[in-house]
Amino acid sequence: MALKALDIYKILPKKNCKECGDPTCLTFAMKLAAGKADVDLCPYLDDNAKSVLGATTRPPIRRLKIGIGERSFTVGEEFVLYRHDKTFNNPPGIMLRVSDTQSRDEIASVAARVRDETFTRVGTGLMFNGITIINSSKSPQVFAKAVETVENTADLPLVLVAETTDALAAALVHCGTYRPIIHAATRSNYREMCALAKQHGCLLVVRAPDLDDLAILAKDCAAEGVQDLLLDPAPQSLNDFIVRSTAIRQLAITRTVPDLGYPVYLDAARNALRDAYLALGIVKYASVIICDPLSPEATKASLTLRQNIYTDPQKPIQMNPGIYRIGSPAKDAPVLLTVNFSLTFFTLEGYLESSRIPCFMFIIDTEGLSVLTAVASGKFSETLVRDAIKKFGLENEVSHRTLIIPGYAAPLSGRIEETTGWKVMVGPRDAADIGEFLHEEWKQ
Amino acid sequence: MRTVTFLPSYRKIDIERGKTILDAAQNAGLNMNVVCGGQGKCGKCIVYIQSGKTEFDRQKYLRFFTEEELAKGACLACQTTVQGDLQVFIPESSLIQEQKILIEHRDQKIDLRPSVRKFYVELQPPTLADPSPDLTRLLWGIQKNGGPAAEKIYVPLEVMREIPAILRHSDWKVTGTVGLVPGGYRLIDLQENDTAKRVYGAAVDLGSTTIVAYLWDLVEGKVVGVASNYNRQISCGEDILARVNYARKNGLVKLQSLAIESVNTALTTASDNAGIDREDIYEVVVAGNTVMTHMLLGIDPAYIIAEPYVPVVQRALSVAASRIGIACNRNCGLFAFPAVSDFIGGDIIADILACGMAGQEGVSLLIDIGTNFEVVLGNREWMFSCAGAAGPALEGGEVLFGMRANPGAIEKIVIDPETLIPSYSTINNLKPRGITGSGLIDLLAELFAACIIDRNGRIDTGIGNPRIRIGAHFPEYVVAWAKDTDINKDVVITENDIKNLIMSKASVHAACVTLMKEADVTRHDITAIYFAGAFGNYINKKNATIIGLIPEINPDQIRNIGNGAVTGANIALINRRERKTLDEIANRMAYIELNAEPSFMDEYTMSSFLPHTDLTLFPMVQKMLDACRIKRV
Amino acid sequence: MGLPAMFDWNSVIREVVIGATKSDGGTRAVSYRIGGGTTLPFLEKTPKPPLIAFELCDSPQYWSPIITNYCGDVVNSPAEWAKTAGSAYGADIIRLYLTSTRQRNYSDFEAVKRTVELVLDATGLPLIIEGSNEPKIDSEVFLKCGEAGQGERLLLGTAEASRYRSIAAAALAYNHSLIAQSPIDINLAKQLNILLKEIGVPQDHIVIDPYTGTLGYGFEYSYSAMERIRFSALKGDTDLAMPMICSAVDSLSVKEVRDAEPGTRDTMAVAWEFYTGIAAAAAGAEIICVRHPDSIGKLKEAFRSLAHSKVPTGGD
Repeated sequence: MALKALDIYKILPKKNCKECGDPTCLTFAMKLAAGKADVDLCPYLDDNAKSVLGATTRPPIRRLKIGIGERSFTVGEEFVLYRHDKTFNNPPGIMLRVSDTQSRDEIASVAARVRDETFTRVGTGLMFNGITIINSSKSPQVFAKAVETVENTADLPLVLVAETTDALAAALVHCGTYRPIIHAATRSNYREMCALAKQHGCLLVVRAPDLDDLAILAKDCAAEGVQDLLLDPAPQSLNDFIVRSTAIRQLAITRTVPDLGYPVYLDAARNALRDAYLALGIVKYASVIICDPLSPEATKASLTLRQNIYTDPQKPIQMNPGIYRIGSPAKDAPVLLTVNFSLTFFTLEGYLESSRIPCFMFIIDTEGLSVLTAVASGKFSETLVRDAIKKFGLENEVSHRTLIIPGYAAPLSGRIEETTGWKVMVGPRDAADIGEFLHEEWKQ
Repeated sequence: MRTVTFLPSYRKIDIERGKTILDAAQNAGLNMNVVCGGQGKCGKCIVYIQSGKTEFDRQKYLRFFTEEELAKGACLACQTTVQGDLQVFIPESSLIQEQKILIEHRDQKIDLRPSVRKFYVELQPPTLADPSPDLTRLLWGIQKNGGPAAEKIYVPLEVMREIPAILRHSDWKVTGTVGLVPGGYRLIDLQENDTAKRVYGAAVDLGSTTIVAYLWDLVEGKVVGVASNYNRQISCGEDILARVNYARKNGLVKLQSLAIESVNTALTTASDNAGIDREDIYEVVVAGNTVMTHMLLGIDPAYIIAEPYVPVVQRALSVAASRIGIACNRNCGLFAFPAVSDFIGGDIIADILACGMAGQEGVSLLIDIGTNFEVVLGNREWMFSCAGAAGPALEGGEVLFGMRANPGAIEKIVIDPETLIPSYSTINNLKPRGITGSGLIDLLAELFAACIIDRNGRIDTGIGNPRIRIGAHFPEYVVAWAKDTDINKDVVITENDIKNLIMSKASVHAACVTLMKEADVTRHDITAIYFAGAFGNYINKKNATIIGLIPEINPDQIRNIGNGAVTGANIALINRRERKTLDEIANRMAYIELNAEPSFMDEYTMSSFLPHTDLTLFPMVQKMLDACRIKRV
Repeated sequence: MGLPAMFDWNSVIREVVIGATKSDGGTRAVSYRIGGGTTLPFLEKTPKPPLIAFELCDSPQYWSPIITNYCGDVVNSPAEWAKTAGSAYGADIIRLYLTSTRQRNYSDFEAVKRTVELVLDATGLPLIIEGSNEPKIDSEVFLKCGEAGQGERLLLGTAEASRYRSIAAAALAYNHSLIAQSPIDINLAKQLNILLKEIGVPQDHIVIDPYTGTLGYGFEYSYSAMERIRFSALKGDTDLAMPMICSAVDSLSVKEVRDAEPGTRDTMAVAWEFYTGIAAAAAGAEIICVRHPDSIGKLKEAFRSLAHSKVPTGGD
């Protein structure tokens, strides 16, 4: 699979000509190994070498774009079983479910909800992704009507679930060109489903509880000319799901069974276990999850979980640097300086709020590094603090000139004082002690 | 103006009110011990005010003083301002003292091919029949005597002007000095009569602490004099960062002139000892780290130390020594080693030249440890390098009783596993005052082997032994009782000191492993580990392995190359072809930014344990541990 | 079902016993054997459902008002509370925090012993006991806990790299197991286990707590730390081959729960505990701790489905 920097270096011309933009062939090789550079940048490679190095490996799990327009989203293109190995790339789309037997108003209100509802965390708006419409009525006309209602309300990615191709065909009249997902091709109907998918250019879910069958079915569909597929392993229990979904991911990324190299579809619309399916789908490799409209509590929890799991483990979420207020601080309120690593921010914010002392949080840009790593790497420096004070006009916000810095930044206290002219108090190492610290130290 | 009188030397200095005592001491030419660069953080610049008015917030720095010191009115020179006329007593311990400096040259068979050569010529005076110009006559003579082709030699104007007088005054018997500089040959000097035997060159290690100079007879190819002295910049801050900050605040001029002065002092001492005239030094080769090289040349180093860490120049530089004030022959050239990055400077390139790893097929690991450390891994095909902050712990800083290699410093320690009583040796066999970096490595390894600390470095306070006790802030182990010391204090190592040491050693080990992973080699592939730098020379290789400072390999394959910077500079001085390879070595090397390497933190955490979290990487240490555990049970 | 995932694991998670029934010399109505896993969580032929521990304390002033309001007067008696947790809430394990020891200069160590004995009398469930927050009184507190629970195979909490000797001594003296907590890092977890091993704590007496930052507040780090620990254990790292416990103690104090409308605060708290708990179980945690009683039933139902396994039928 991935070549090491030195293996690549051996193939490179070793001229250190710098024409690729790197100072040496070795540094260029390191970039190639990390996937951060393009082979074509080197003008001295023959085709043979290029093909060895550049064999642009197709992602083991197919990349699919679902829907069109602003709310379209991408799934698949995953490479790992564990997020710590690299990262999970494309978070699953959560598609709220309506049935065509519901009233027009009910259907429209769910569509409007998915269109409008946003929950903001760490500066990012979290939303559901689309609507799933179930053909419970079994009637093609009713189904089509329901799809029309959704289409009239919002431009959202759709999943159409019906047992007959007639119903799907009727519905696709309204949304066929918007890259919806249709569910589901089985051993008995896959030819008609493929024809329908091809006709409208939509994405097709293939369904089989046995992974052998699923792989063969996916292969057959691909042979019919439909390659934008999703896999529904039809789990009967949470255990079924975790076992099958893990197997699909593992067999796909190792390219053991390339026919399983498609994103996984999960129906989480179960009564009592909805939250459990949803949570498990998020952590265990589902790419499209359908579920009933969620309570506000489950909405926040599930969207937060998705955000957590799909954070790049090597790139912590960052807060915007600046001045944040806890309560309504007066001009003489304490200023607590810390880094813009989101976890640090939230932890400190939580303890500050519960301390009930109005204060300012002064967040400096350490590129998302925690206090300890930022200090160790030199990112957290006195000049950074000085520049941030200037940039955010801290001097105008408060009447005093005292900064409270994190305990782990204590080695910098002298230099910060010297550079900024502000008095520095070294706070506790553990954010949990900040309340006590403020009560005891600041009050003096 | 206020007058400060320093005792016991009675040196006097006038200084503005409000300046610190440290400023006054520095103006008076006293080299005070300021590890932290005068930030009030190291507590090493203790002075006693005998009389006069000062301002000092003693409460804030209480931790640095013993009761006895407080009773005598101790304060920190860097945090005390002069308010009135003062008498200040500076104890010996607050002054930088004569250091034990490594002067050692590794024998290596290097061809003598200096870039400066002299040619004695006896010319025919011009006649009407042979009216060719003086210059032509001279250069032909040099060419005939084995020098470069006449038309290839460039002659600078100031030498040109001297030619007619010297030729005629010496009766047409002269010695021309030809140097190879970038751009070609150059007639750099013309002297009367035969001085061809008098061609000298100097190789200089421009360290941030110490300057070492080797004076070479470039005709005979032998060392004729050696000298070393402190880098006077120390008075502007102990570490590089402090000095760059000093330069930012006060300008570069003072730092540059201190560097030049330090080099000149070394050159003077060496040439005086050798009994030669500095006018006969025609070339100076300098290996220094990137910042030192910048400062020496008067190039602003400010951008090297802050993101994105860009040096002004990386390639090797040749300049006229006289232009920056190096006192040698007026046309002496100065060659400065190239650098790879902010941290991998000319000193490391010199280390590489010294150990010869760039020519070997086997993979070597080169480790240069100071406050910062640099690691290079590679062979004749490829090289990876990285650098990091080891923290000053391994040099004796950040450790309560850590000190540099000064007289009275404990440099070797063994602890009896039964009685837990240590035996130690100190520099110059004086009563102990503190512990050096190599002593600390011994101490850590011995504490570990005696099961006084666990693998996390925590002292087992359950052991009933008077040497193990709970100190003011941390548990500690008493290395020497007050009565046996020179400072009347128990010399201890605290759990916090141990933590700092472990953090330091972990950074070095993690850096090694990060490079090894990048190159896909294991410890079994490493054919040699070279320790460079003065520190490496005193290090106990076995103990360095026991604490997990370096990957475990056969101890016979670990070598101390001593002062690699000066050895490398020597090689580059006497052989101009070797010098040519330097830019190539610098070019070949890839620099790995540890902070940008996601696995580095993981490796660091794994290495923050004794000797390492994964004991299978340290089979010898594992055996040792098993043996001492059996002893314990 | 055909085509199972293929892993080349070469080791298993060590088993740890919690609680002792009469036949084992204790008085518990049940005891549990956790660990034993041979592959990723729930991929075994007969996976075990994770256990749910209900966290309570002996001095409710230190507890979230959401819980004390919800549980009512019972919180004033740890014994009654523990009994209710078993009979009404449906917990598998009781985790008792001796919050009373957090008072300044606490020294009534006999009371510690008494509390533990009362709780043991009140419930037949196995017990996790959380000792003091103050290193100075660790030794006494843990010894009293250990003594009070002699023969009961308690799980004592919590050992950390900076303070593990006292708790280890108590666990060793009275044959209890202990929780080893490290701050969300596989290497630190391993180091602590090594330290414990080196002072003689048997490895089948250790449960790893990799520290759980709750959902939205560092959970992703904990999730990956747990996955990495499980992975390394299965790959043969015996110093990490212990079962894991997850306690997202901050779940009740996060902004989302604090700011929830008073009427929905309980459901928000449960949603937070539930999503954290089930994801942690998927990453390998075998004991999930909760503080809200309503989280228990919801998690139990999910765990039943998660542990449910069918004999492979070879297809549809």
